[in-house]
Amino acid sequence: MVKISVLQHAPSTHLPARPGDPTPTSRNLDPLMHPFARARERTRALNAVKMERIFAKPFIAALEGHVDAVETMARKPGTLNVVASGSWDGGMIVHDISLRRHILRVDEAHKGKISGVCFADEDRLLTCGVDRNVKLWDTREVDENGAGPSDVRKPLNVFPGKSAFNSIDHHRTDPIFATASNIVQIWDETKSAPISNLSFPTSIETISAIKFNLSESSVLASIGSDRTFTLYDIRTGKAERRIVMQMRSNALSWSPTFPTTILLASEDHNLYTFDIRSLKTPSQIYKAHVAAVMSCDWSPTGHQFVSGGWDRTVRIWQEGRGTAPEVYHTKRMQRVTSTLFTSDAKYVLSGSDDGNIRIWKARAHEKLGILDSRERAAIEYRESLKQKWKTDAQVNKISRTRHIPKPVHKAGQLKRTMLEAQRVKEERRRKHTRAGESKPTAEKRKVVIAEQS
Amino acid sequence: MARAQKPKQSRRPQAKSLKQNNLRGFAKRQSLKSQRSSKYSESSDVYEYQPENVRRSKVKLQLEKDELDGARRDISGSEDEDDGPKRNGLRPRLVGENDDEGGLGSDEDEEIDSDEAFDESDEERFAGFNFSTKTKSVAKRKPQKRSLQSRTVPLIDLNEDEVELEEAPSENASASEGEDSAADDEEEGDPEDFIDVLDMIDGKGPAESADEGEHTQKEERPSASKARVEGDDVPHLEDEDEDMHDEEDEGISSDESEEDESHISPMDDAISASGDEDDDVGTSLHDLQSFITNLDAGQKRKAPDDEAAPTTETGEARRQKRRMLKERTEAGEENEFAPHRGATKLNLDDLLNPLASSSSNLLSLKKSAKILTSISAKNQTLSAPLPQRTQERLDREAAYQQTKEEVDKWSATMKKIKEAEHLSFPLQAQPAGRTSNLELAAKFKPTTELESAVDRLLKSAKMREEDIAQTESLKMNHLSVEEVSARRAELAKMRELMFRAEAKAKRVAKIKSKTYRRIKKKEKAKIAAKLGEGSDDEDMNEETRMKHEVERARERATLKHKNTGKWAKAMRARGDLDEDQRRDISEMLSRGEKLRRRIQGIGSGDESEEGEDDTEDDEEGAADRIKASAFEELAQLDKGSEGEEDSGRKGKSIFEMKFMKDAIARDQQRAKQMADDFVREMGESNHEDDEDDELTGGRIEESSGATIERVGGRVTYRPGAQLRTVNSLASDTSSITLRSNDLPSDVARSVTPSATSPIPEKLGIATEAPNPWLAPRQDPAKAVPKKHEIAVSKDSASVEKSKNKLRKKAQKHEEEQSKARNDAAVDISMSNVMTLGDNSSAGPSKPKTRSQSGNQRDDGDDDSDVHSEVEEQERLLDRKGKGKANGVKAFEQRDLVARAFAGDNVVRDFAEAKRREMQEDAPKEVDTTLPGWGSWGGTGTRKAQPKPHLIKKVAGVDPTTRADYKKAHVIISEKRDKKAAKYMVKDLPYPYTSKAQFERSMDIPIGTEWNTRVGFQRGTLPKIVTKPGTVINPLEKLL
Repeated sequence: MVKISVLQHAPSTHLPARPGDPTPTSRNLDPLMHPFARARERTRALNAVKMERIFAKPFIAALEGHVDAVETMARKPGTLNVVASGSWDGGMIVHDISLRRHILRVDEAHKGKISGVCFADEDRLLTCGVDRNVKLWDTREVDENGAGPSDVRKPLNVFPGKSAFNSIDHHRTDPIFATASNIVQIWDETKSAPISNLSFPTSIETISAIKFNLSESSVLASIGSDRTFTLYDIRTGKAERRIVMQMRSNALSWSPTFPTTILLASEDHNLYTFDIRSLKTPSQIYKAHVAAVMSCDWSPTGHQFVSGGWDRTVRIWQEGRGTAPEVYHTKRMQRVTSTLFTSDAKYVLSGSDDGNIRIWKARAHEKLGILDSRERAAIEYRESLKQKWKTDAQVNKISRTRHIPKPVHKAGQLKRTMLEAQRVKEERRRKHTRAGESKPTAEKRKVVIAEQS
Repeated sequence: MARAQKPKQSRRPQAKSLKQNNLRGFAKRQSLKSQRSSKYSESSDVYEYQPENVRRSKVKLQLEKDELDGARRDISGSEDEDDGPKRNGLRPRLVGENDDEGGLGSDEDEEIDSDEAFDESDEERFAGFNFSTKTKSVAKRKPQKRSLQSRTVPLIDLNEDEVELEEAPSENASASEGEDSAADDEEEGDPEDFIDVLDMIDGKGPAESADEGEHTQKEERPSASKARVEGDDVPHLEDEDEDMHDEEDEGISSDESEEDESHISPMDDAISASGDEDDDVGTSLHDLQSFITNLDAGQKRKAPDDEAAPTTETGEARRQKRRMLKERTEAGEENEFAPHRGATKLNLDDLLNPLASSSSNLLSLKKSAKILTSISAKNQTLSAPLPQRTQERLDREAAYQQTKEEVDKWSATMKKIKEAEHLSFPLQAQPAGRTSNLELAAKFKPTTELESAVDRLLKSAKMREEDIAQTESLKMNHLSVEEVSARRAELAKMRELMFRAEAKAKRVAKIKSKTYRRIKKKEKAKIAAKLGEGSDDEDMNEETRMKHEVERARERATLKHKNTGKWAKAMRARGDLDEDQRRDISEMLSRGEKLRRRIQGIGSGDESEEGEDDTEDDEEGAADRIKASAFEELAQLDKGSEGEEDSGRKGKSIFEMKFMKDAIARDQQRAKQMADDFVREMGESNHEDDEDDELTGGRIEESSGATIERVGGRVTYRPGAQLRTVNSLASDTSSITLRSNDLPSDVARSVTPSATSPIPEKLGIATEAPNPWLAPRQDPAKAVPKKHEIAVSKDSASVEKSKNKLRKKAQKHEEEQSKARNDAAVDISMSNVMTLGDNSSAGPSKPKTRSQSGNQRDDGDDDSDVHSEVEEQERLLDRKGKGKANGVKAFEQRDLVARAFAGDNVVRDFAEAKRREMQEDAPKEVDTTLPGWGSWGGTGTRKAQPKPHLIKKVAGVDPTTRADYKKAHVIISEKRDKKAAKYMVKDLPYPYTSKAQFERSMDIPIGTEWNTRVGFQRGTLPKIVTKPGTVINPLEKLL
């Protein structure tokens, strides 16, 4: 018999057996059929990195509503879409970011600016303001008082304080929260007076921000106007340790996956991560902002964080990589006063001076929506190619290059010049002192001036 | 505790040696005390029993001292800092404790007190001790001690406490002593010795409390000591005064002495218990009595110690007094301010006794009081609080440590996360368990109408799961237990078997091996056949039998010479054979042997016996013999065919069949025809052969000179041609010069000489080497006869084969002759060639070397690999030329070749090119001076030296550093390859530690083309995977 080979393919060879399965790849196993692997992969990497740049469109939407600068934001734990924000005019809005609408809006939540918002358990929200009050709100559509979304809401509870509050944070599990004014106070939700005061003795500073540790939930950290960072523990009820730094910090955030790590956004344009077990030096310095960093927040994965700066940019950093963050900016975005990661680590929110909250993709070129397995495989392949070929000059250049606004660019240039001048000066000084007398200090050692116990 | 500062442990060794001194010093102290007591209105020992008093008395002095000390302490700084708040903090508490003035005085400040105490009473005591004994030795020991003291402070603290507990009765005195020592420590020891102070303060606390509790308890003590003082210490009065002043200056020494004393005190413990009472010569009779009673016991106890230190009575008394100190818990000295001056020791019971009548719940009160007393006995007193700031700082430190520890529990987790290659968030997600069918079925509740309807129906029919089970159980009820168990066992067995069979079937179904399938199929067929045979052997139909027969015949026809056929194997396997079968097998084997021989060319099988003998015979008759043998073979063939027919008839095998008969007939006919042809041919060629006999005889004999090639399944025999090994062929294709003409002829020839039997190889060497240059041209005429080849199939008749062989031999002979002739012809023109060849320098040299190395072929093998290719060629040539009788001819040929390529000086050109390349790349200096610029022109001007700055230096590549330096056969470019540069990196990228590592990582492609799917997926899996729409919660402590 003669065997006749016909041009037909069994569907099983090129179609997935079941709908969910990956498509079977047909390839010739002969390595001779696939020569020039290196060259081909390099070209692919180049294409991948170009595609990344082409598809890098991070901006998704802007949430309007505030009439003044957005001072603070907080995401609701356990949800993806609920975010509360407080503004300088005393307005408080709870957003649904997926539907881009307001769940709750209180225009006169506080007199003066709202300096902090945080979610208590479930649907309740705590806000604090410079009007020396902490208020507890119900964020449900119809609250306990029967007020609908359009009605004027009344707070469920008001906790009066003695001085203006600068920050508020809720304990992860217990019904207690901490406020920062000139001292740190721990409140019980059910009591109108603080249950304990924490302050570092001899400190007369204003505490500007406070945060509970997420995993070790009794550990508390604050930053103060005295360029300090202070560590508290509500179990021991003490301010345990304090460091004084070169410049004051504007914001702080605990890492969700590395409980000992805390991130400080400093006035000196840098961000610092500290290991609270050794506060003498920061574990990493993150340098890219060209003005003071106003806010920071960790990604829930703990491998990224976002920072917003006075330089009108939002930057997304990889943990442990001190330079070259992703940078987001728009023409209309002003000073970024608050930033936030969503709890699925996919989006980033930034609240700025212009009163808008902007939603960005955490990875600028990421495709949104459902991916089929082939596409995902292709994306993963591209990513790993980029990773592999990042040492290639051309690939690296393309992936590195960012367009940034001229003022930012100029400021960066200026900063670089100044730093260089400083460095040169220092070097010369050293050169003209006796040999070995003045040794260059590591950058990390310069950060902390004193560690106090 | 401050008093506890004395480093008892460390001092212990010294203590014994100092015992004597101490004793003496102690005596002195006692005397001092007595003096002091005499000074004051009170008769009792001032120091020992009225510390308050002493202190108070000292107030003035003490202040002065304090001023002095303060000045000293101010230098130390840190201590002072702590002192201030301490004083303030302590004062109120102490005020409450001590009722009288003395108490207040003492309480003013512990340190001050201690200072005072030290200054006056104690130091003097020690001073006495010092002066009277060995100041020198003390001085010597001083620095050592101090260092020890400073080091071992805390340890000693505890000891001292105990000591004091035991010494309870003389609380105040000892306390003051302790304080003194502590104060001294402060003063003299390291100013930074911060802990001392703290400890001292701690120590003070207990002392005070003890004071409070036992103020009244031991009243007899003061009196006793007083008595003793009166007895012993009066003489030392003057000393004391001296000491009082001197001690200030020599505080250090006194300190030491005091320390010594403190060390001794525990040693004396054994004596102490009652010892204090020994000396108690109280005012009251009771005291006296007790004294007397105790004295005996005390002496008894004392006895062993006494020999160690021979003492006067005073000395003894002193020691006893020290013992007495231990039991003392009283803080207050007995004086006019002391609240209790009773002779008896005041107990808590004494205080409670008056209440006995009034209160009914005295018992409970007593109980609680008991606890109190016991606690006080253990000296479980609270330490004095540190200054608030210090305390808080310490607390913070501790709290921070605590937090650190707490947080540090995460370190393992964090490390794991950090080192993980892939992380899928959320990390602490609950694993979603799969639900089984059973689970679903169990949970199922009919919800829709249809479902409920079905359920109802099932229910009514009693067909639901539980109903079925029920009915089954009901049915089982009728059966006996054995039956049930048997049934169950059977069921289980069946199930088991089924399961196994299924599993096996599954496994077998997965096997993809074709051979396995084939074997399987055959087995199946065999089984089927067996079954068929077993069932109907008789009426096996014609068709199947025919089939079987055909099979057997085919095997016989084709595989007779082998014993590997199916049939043969079957025979072998059978084991016992009958005669017939054995014959068959032997026939088959012999046939195989014959055939093998024939293939090897030893001789056709039938005549092998004769042929072997013949081979060595004379050359003359060779041809004749061959012919004869050929004819003989023919005849035998005829005979054989007949025989075959016979045998076919005999065995009623397939040869009886019609088709076989037909075939045999056909075969025979053909064979006959061939034989006839052969006979005819031989008749003709006979004559030609005769002519050449003389020349060729020998060669024909030994070599058939034929190459046998298999072309498309047929073996082709052809007159001998040059032989090439496979590797030589390969080298030829890459060689440059000599190949061009070789190739066509090579190609014309078959490529696989090795496929032929061993004969051609053996003979190939013997045959003449080809002349690449001459061969194709010189033999155009012969090409035709050469081409005249006859295909001899494997199973063609032997007649043909032998015929063919003969013809080949003849051809071979002819060929050789012609070749010899040709060579001779070439030889004539050789001289010209040589001269011509010399014209080129490089060209001719090559052939020469070749010929040389050709002669010593073995040596050539060892040459460097650079020349390997050339060598290879030469070797090839050599092999070709080896068969030749005279090397001259080969030489000529090569020269001819050289002549043909006379113009191509490849080697020289190459060398030239390389030189040029090197020159171009070499570093050089270029003079960039523009004529007429920067210098004067015109006639008469001398040419100026080129300016150094106008000389441009081009840093090239030094010839010696080139990669191809000293490699004559290659040029390696030193120019930068732009295309390759893309794949270079400047520095080793970060995570890599070596070049090789990096290169390896870059070498491995990650795409699907180069990896399996799994490999690809693994290779491209991102480090962090997050699912869209999944909340990632921070890490939680999982308990």
